[in-house]
Amino acid sequence: MSGIEFYVVVLLVYLGTDLLAAWGLNLEYGISGVANLAFIVVIAAGAYTYAILSLGPDSGNGGFQLYVIGLQLPFAVAVIAAAVVGAVVGVLIGVTGLKRIRQDYQGMVMLVISLMAVTVVGADTGFLNGQAGLSLIPNPFSSLSPVVGDWTYVAMVGVACVIGFFVMKRFTGGPMGRALRAMRDDEHAVAALGFSVVRLRLMSQAVGGAFGGVSGALLAAFIGGWSPGAWAYVETLALLTAIIVGGMGNDMGVSLGTFVIAVLLLQGVQFLPQISSHTGLTEALGWIILGVLTITFLWVRPQGIFKERRPFYRSPSGSDRPSPGDSGTGRVAAPPA
Amino acid sequence: MHLLIEAIGFGVASGAVLALGAVGFTLQFGISNVLNITYGSLMTLAAFLGVFLLGLGLNVWLVMALGGLLIGLASVALNRGLLAPLMRRGLQPFGLIIVTVSAGIVIQYVIVAVAGPSTLSYGNLSGATLHFLGWTLTTAQVVILVVALVLMAGLHVLLTRTQLGRAMRATSSNRTLARSCGIATGRIGDIAWFLSGTFCGMAGIALAITIESFDFTLGSIFLIPIIAAAVLGGVGQPYGAMVGGLVVGIVSQVSAAYWSPSYENVVALAMLIVMLLVRPRGLFGANSSSRKLLA
Repeated sequence: MSGIEFYVVVLLVYLGTDLLAAWGLNLEYGISGVANLAFIVVIAAGAYTYAILSLGPDSGNGGFQLYVIGLQLPFAVAVIAAAVVGAVVGVLIGVTGLKRIRQDYQGMVMLVISLMAVTVVGADTGFLNGQAGLSLIPNPFSSLSPVVGDWTYVAMVGVACVIGFFVMKRFTGGPMGRALRAMRDDEHAVAALGFSVVRLRLMSQAVGGAFGGVSGALLAAFIGGWSPGAWAYVETLALLTAIIVGGMGNDMGVSLGTFVIAVLLLQGVQFLPQISSHTGLTEALGWIILGVLTITFLWVRPQGIFKERRPFYRSPSGSDRPSPGDSGTGRVAAPPA
Repeated sequence: MHLLIEAIGFGVASGAVLALGAVGFTLQFGISNVLNITYGSLMTLAAFLGVFLLGLGLNVWLVMALGGLLIGLASVALNRGLLAPLMRRGLQPFGLIIVTVSAGIVIQYVIVAVAGPSTLSYGNLSGATLHFLGWTLTTAQVVILVVALVLMAGLHVLLTRTQLGRAMRATSSNRTLARSCGIATGRIGDIAWFLSGTFCGMAGIALAITIESFDFTLGSIFLIPIIAAAVLGGVGQPYGAMVGGLVVGIVSQVSAAYWSPSYENVVALAMLIVMLLVRPRGLFGANSSSRKLLA
């Protein structure tokens, strides 16, 4: 397989897993208004779960890495388990945000949780092999020839995305989507209508967490390794930027944003020539552009490239009327007066 | 018992630095009602600027003062250039925190782009080891402790005895009312951001002095206990932040002594979460500031 071909494979797998992750975060933040700045933790949870379930006991391979469990379960089982663990971790994170405090305060707490998770996992060498992380994570198609195996993996990620897309559509469209968006726009109104805000919030975090868990598992199985370096707190911001730039609450917008940010930007900077006196410059440049993009969009166009589409209702007399309510940017910017 | 007393000593020393950082953080929230996550990256910036200034041969304590002043100016620029205009445009608190996180990332990675990702060190500035009250502290730690005490005493005098301090407290409590009383809230805001930025810069350099080596993640690591200290004391309450810093410092060091050194910050986080679930306005949170935090 030529270098270019392999790079295309890598890009496609990254795009697929990032799409799943972005859809999960969009469900939590764009649709439900949950300020989850710790989203990367559920992705990491999924990746680690897949790893420790599909690897054998840690004494194998010369015992160079120490971790818990190690059941050598088949791929599908491990991925489903990763989704479940992602959901559970998502709910646990969500519980900290249930208290009636301001959204940015909640966001800050989740940011701290994210920072802490990296520190704790990195410090404890017996739990998930500390800073070094886990490697030799089994790829389900490793028995096939490299070319066939890689493209089969791309196909599988594609299938996962298609399934994920339909699942997401069920949540973001229809009555559930309306309830979640209503909760985002006005919690008290939704509560007055008889919905349990707690249940809605935790449910969105569970489903979002499941998406993140699958994304992490697929990524870990492909790369074959996973360590604290892969899930620093800035990764959540990359996804959040993708959602903000593309358009919160708009499925196509989020997908486009993910493609632009996760693939074009963060991968594109790898193509800049490395300056030998400054290592790590190109990667740093990617993050700088990301931060500037986020700030610029929040300044100039908080709704993103593709605005959220509000439903139009036809009145009985036949004339179209847009539904009342703000332009969808209410959580980030005040509605236009 | 001896271990406990020694740990408390370390806790007081680290608590002093945390208190400096927390007071700055909490002042910014009090004045502008924004949780400024860029604070961490500004501490990192101070530490790196300190390396440059030390390279010019300046005395380390002068470097701490200079670094503080520079970051004070940077903080004013941050507020005037980014945060205040966005707030005027109607950006909600969560949008603002994303902006501060993004700005923090930009600053952090500019540091990486300029100075590289490798670790730096101020070298051994500890000085002689001093023994008193059963504590074992280095000269540097004692100097930082004294500096922190002096600065906090100065802040107390400023807030309670001067017109400026009264204006700051009024703006912090109710901005609109302060304005209608004739207080120039814009200018007061600038001064408050400068002061809190100075605390930020000094905390960053103090951190760099006391730990062996650091890299561009310095700020994001130490932001955790600083936020914990600020929340513990009640965001927006400077005295709360002072107490909070001390408490977080002592509890962290004691648990590090008895449990494991790598879990220092875990304890800080646990305190933060418990505080948040039980009493979000913190120990000293007055009702007016707690209203700001509730949804």
